[in-house]
Amino acid sequence: MRLLLWLPGRLLGALVVLVGVSILIFAAVRSLPGGYADVILGSLSSPEARAALAEQYGLDKSIPEQYLLWVLSALRGDFGTSMVSQLPVTDEFASRLPLTLGLGVIAIALTVLIGIPLGVYTGTRSTGGRSSVLGRLVSSIGISVPEFVLASVIVFLFSRFALGLRVGNVVSPATDLAASIPTLILPGVVLAVFCIASTARTTRDAVLGVLVEPHVGAAVARGESKGFIIRHHVLRNASIPILTLVATLTAYLLGGAVIVETVFDVPGLGSYLVQALGRRDYAVIQSGVLLATVVFVVMSLLVDVLTGLIDPRVSVAKKGRWA
Amino acid sequence: MKRTPLAIGLLATALVLTACTAPTTESTAATEEQPGYLAVADPSLATGGDLSVQLDYDSVEANGLDPQTATTARSWTLMGLVYDTLVTVGPDFSIEPGLATSWDTPSDTEYVFTLRDDAVFSNGRPMTADDVVGSLQRLLDSKSDWSLQLGQVSSVQATGGNEVTVTLAAPYTSFLGALANTPAAILPMTEIADGSVDITTTMLGTGPYVVQDHVQDQSWTFGPNEHYYGAATRGPESVAVDIVTEENTRLAAIRDGSADYAFFNNVDALDLLGGTENARVVNQQNTDFYYLIINSQNPDSPLADQKVRFAINSALDRQEISDIALAGQALPTGVTPATLPGACPAADLPSEKPTTDEIKQALADAGAEDLDLTITLYNTEPALAQIAQVMQQELAAVGVNLTIENLDIGSFVDKIYSSSPSDIDLALSWYAGYGDAAMVSKWWNGDVSTFTAGFKANDPAQNALQVAAGSEPAGAERDATMVELCASVDESSELVPLVTRPGVIGYRTDSLSPTINTNEGYGSVLRDIVDYRMIDAG
Amino acid sequence: MTGTVAPIPRATAAQAARRGLRRAATTLDPLATVAACVLLAMFAATILARLVGLGGSPTEIVGTRLAAPSLAFPLGTDSLGRSLVPRLLEGIGTTLLLSVIAVAITAVLASTAGIVAGYRGGRVNGTIMRVGDMLYAFPSIILAILVAAVVGPGQVAALASIVLVTVPLMTRLVAVSSRAVADRDFVAAAVISGVSTPRILVRHILRNVAGTIAVQGTYALSIAILVEGGLSFLGYGVQLPGSSLGLLIKEGTTYMVKAPWLIVAPGVVLVIAILCINVIGDSLRDRLEPRETRSLV
Repeated sequence: MRLLLWLPGRLLGALVVLVGVSILIFAAVRSLPGGYADVILGSLSSPEARAALAEQYGLDKSIPEQYLLWVLSALRGDFGTSMVSQLPVTDEFASRLPLTLGLGVIAIALTVLIGIPLGVYTGTRSTGGRSSVLGRLVSSIGISVPEFVLASVIVFLFSRFALGLRVGNVVSPATDLAASIPTLILPGVVLAVFCIASTARTTRDAVLGVLVEPHVGAAVARGESKGFIIRHHVLRNASIPILTLVATLTAYLLGGAVIVETVFDVPGLGSYLVQALGRRDYAVIQSGVLLATVVFVVMSLLVDVLTGLIDPRVSVAKKGRWA
Repeated sequence: MKRTPLAIGLLATALVLTACTAPTTESTAATEEQPGYLAVADPSLATGGDLSVQLDYDSVEANGLDPQTATTARSWTLMGLVYDTLVTVGPDFSIEPGLATSWDTPSDTEYVFTLRDDAVFSNGRPMTADDVVGSLQRLLDSKSDWSLQLGQVSSVQATGGNEVTVTLAAPYTSFLGALANTPAAILPMTEIADGSVDITTTMLGTGPYVVQDHVQDQSWTFGPNEHYYGAATRGPESVAVDIVTEENTRLAAIRDGSADYAFFNNVDALDLLGGTENARVVNQQNTDFYYLIINSQNPDSPLADQKVRFAINSALDRQEISDIALAGQALPTGVTPATLPGACPAADLPSEKPTTDEIKQALADAGAEDLDLTITLYNTEPALAQIAQVMQQELAAVGVNLTIENLDIGSFVDKIYSSSPSDIDLALSWYAGYGDAAMVSKWWNGDVSTFTAGFKANDPAQNALQVAAGSEPAGAERDATMVELCASVDESSELVPLVTRPGVIGYRTDSLSPTINTNEGYGSVLRDIVDYRMIDAG
Repeated sequence: MTGTVAPIPRATAAQAARRGLRRAATTLDPLATVAACVLLAMFAATILARLVGLGGSPTEIVGTRLAAPSLAFPLGTDSLGRSLVPRLLEGIGTTLLLSVIAVAITAVLASTAGIVAGYRGGRVNGTIMRVGDMLYAFPSIILAILVAAVVGPGQVAALASIVLVTVPLMTRLVAVSSRAVADRDFVAAAVISGVSTPRILVRHILRNVAGTIAVQGTYALSIAILVEGGLSFLGYGVQLPGSSLGLLIKEGTTYMVKAPWLIVAPGVVLVIAILCINVIGDSLRDRLEPRETRSLV
């Protein structure tokens, strides 16, 4: 198996990235001006109160020592304690993850169900045709409307007028799955718009790229039906860039869609990380960023493995020689 | 100062606009239903029901749920649902009975409290005089901010089965006002002493509610305290508090009725909700106020010169700051909060007198023309950026160029308090104003508030005035002292009070009949919650 | 690691790129020409506003708060009674200028790193790619907020954030293109005939990946505007009383119910700007990376 030739190297690379990010985030968090004591104890605090707080959370130790302690306990599954809630960081993440996951599932489902078919449709029409131009325009607008504009407008419309769905009062899928969907659908759709549009564009380009390959011409010459050609020749070969994009989008969504979560008041991971950053809740920020990185690295590895399975030539040419 | 043409223009346009537009019915600020109250609950309605509240942020304290060391108004509000204090604050900041049914003052340093005999902690144990003595002693020992506000207490003793005597080292007019706030709550001292309750993680009080659930930064669920002495007349049976950060979401909740009661930080909520059917929105005045730090402690800065600082202070127009930055809903104030009885009139402050030309002349005389200064603020209080931008315009008129630096709160506190002298020119923030005109001025007394040393000189004369304002009995003489104190603070121009910090409360008239006081001293937006009545209760 | 939003340009594109670049300058397709004109008009308006005060002063308080659009204030006034027209003009300028500068920095950094990585391959490439992966794996808004909190919010923070967010992807794509060029015969010939490495990198590699850089630079520009907007929207970017499109939209959301014009005007301008840039990007890509699009199906 050629897969076995490059996989160890890729795993090592992934590990290097994880260690690098852990050092990077640890250093960045410690170089933020002000600490938890400044934010929470405020201006009226005594030096004794600050010292007590520092001792309680091990902030009086040297920086390398703090880093090692964090990494070692993280390896055991202990990501530290939130200074704000005084609960384990893992508990805090566990209560927020279902919301972020819920949003991500809605957005990715819409992306796969709408974005890919739209891309195939526009990709297989002649380029000058009306439907093709329309498709390109729609997806161009889709990637050009920033989340914070769309989110704000949706919040305004749905909070000002009775349109059936309500903003806020978000229910976690972990509490009540059925009740959570109507409360997550609006932010989910806002997130999906960019994902759908970019997936449609990439799919269209990938399909166009495959259509001009000689083997497609050969299939046409053999008299195979159009649907069959699209399913068997085009989609299979166009799937790699689409897969890559969908994986990247998934990693992005699971890392927490900060702006959408903030504007829609969804207490998910993204808005939590921003809040923790403002409060200098060190353990939460460090572990949150590390978690997002792990998701990203795993998704990338997954894509590489799948790519290797779909088209062994690609993985060797692209990765094998200089990964 | 000194109506600028800008302010006059604004006033004129405002008048024209008012004449042209139909008044939005329910959004006017000062409609009181009764003196001292913006709203009064309908007592004929049945008790019970579930109240749903949305607030903008949650309580976050270094010592968790311990009320004695709690530093923010939000903590006082939420903890106040569970804990009671000896006395409470009524309309116009009169002191009313709480866990103490009455009190005598045999001398101006002695307070003898008679306790309720029916106060019971939510675990079923009746409150005793020992709980009161222990709680006050614990507060004094804690060296927390609020122990400073309690004044110099020489002893706290149980002098009878339900009588407690507090002796002060010196007369202190604000004493009862300080006792009325949540940090002076009566704690279950027996349980604390035997370790059966960790007061930093559990709330156990004699108040109307008990905590059933709390998810940090998301929600609180309060149920009834079955042992509450006022259970028979307690309004809502349960209170659900949702922490909703986004102002727009809270506005939506009042519009569509998914919340009964909500607090807004932006005074424009008055306008944004005005005209909503079945909803009422009111501007509640606070004793809290915004202040400007003008750092006098950096010897290399032109701001080390009092004349320069006073000129900058004089160039500010407090009324214009309120009109433009706070939709005209805030009140100009001196160091005694304008909303409190006996406060000095802000219009008479020395800095109100110089004209623009005189200010320019003063700056020129001090060799401080074309000053370039930076004003530092923090981004979780949007009004600060608005105020800073108005100041920028006002100071430009006297040749001072102001750059705005809007940091997150950690960087802000770090910049101001981590070095001495402080690493700032100007800075903006706000103080809670509390329930007596002399209380907040403690932060101007350098002997008490050592944390201001990085940007403010310790001035013995000012400290003496502050102590006098705190110890003289209410009356004309004390009022005169307050005027002197205000003038002294204004003249030194180091920590300059600007305008009060109003809050906006919105509620659904089809589900809730609340009691809302016109002036609030401790940011307690749910102060009279036991009087609230749910429309469809019972 | 992969993770490409735009498709990876194909090796055959490289040679055509030089010709294409020249061609692109003279003939854009009609849609892209319109887009370029719109962007130029925005630039012209914002420059005029700065030079001759078109629209008035962006910071002066001139009217009542939140006044509706009128003859005197065609886009209404904001929450402090400032006219929105000059603030919008300044905002366009700040947003576009910041983005252009940031992308220029990104292009220089990414081209250098990408070309070196692609040409040298092996361990050099591995190191550069891993560093890029670290930045790429970092959640982008968190990265931007961290930068802003450490260096202090403002234009410098926005600039640094945009560069950090856009550099990894561009570096990777330039490296891939460079690798393809480095494998070609004319590079081998240059090496054999003793041409110095810097000369090869510039004369042969850079000139042949210029198309990729131009296309990716255009896309990076639209990402830059998004990052600046998001950062200012969260309060960490451009600072008041300055103005940027993100900052104006943020203020607009607060007063949406009472003064919808405050969000509509900057929102529409922002969307149009990004749309134009993407259209130009698409057009450049079609020109510089020609592909037979007439399919048999």
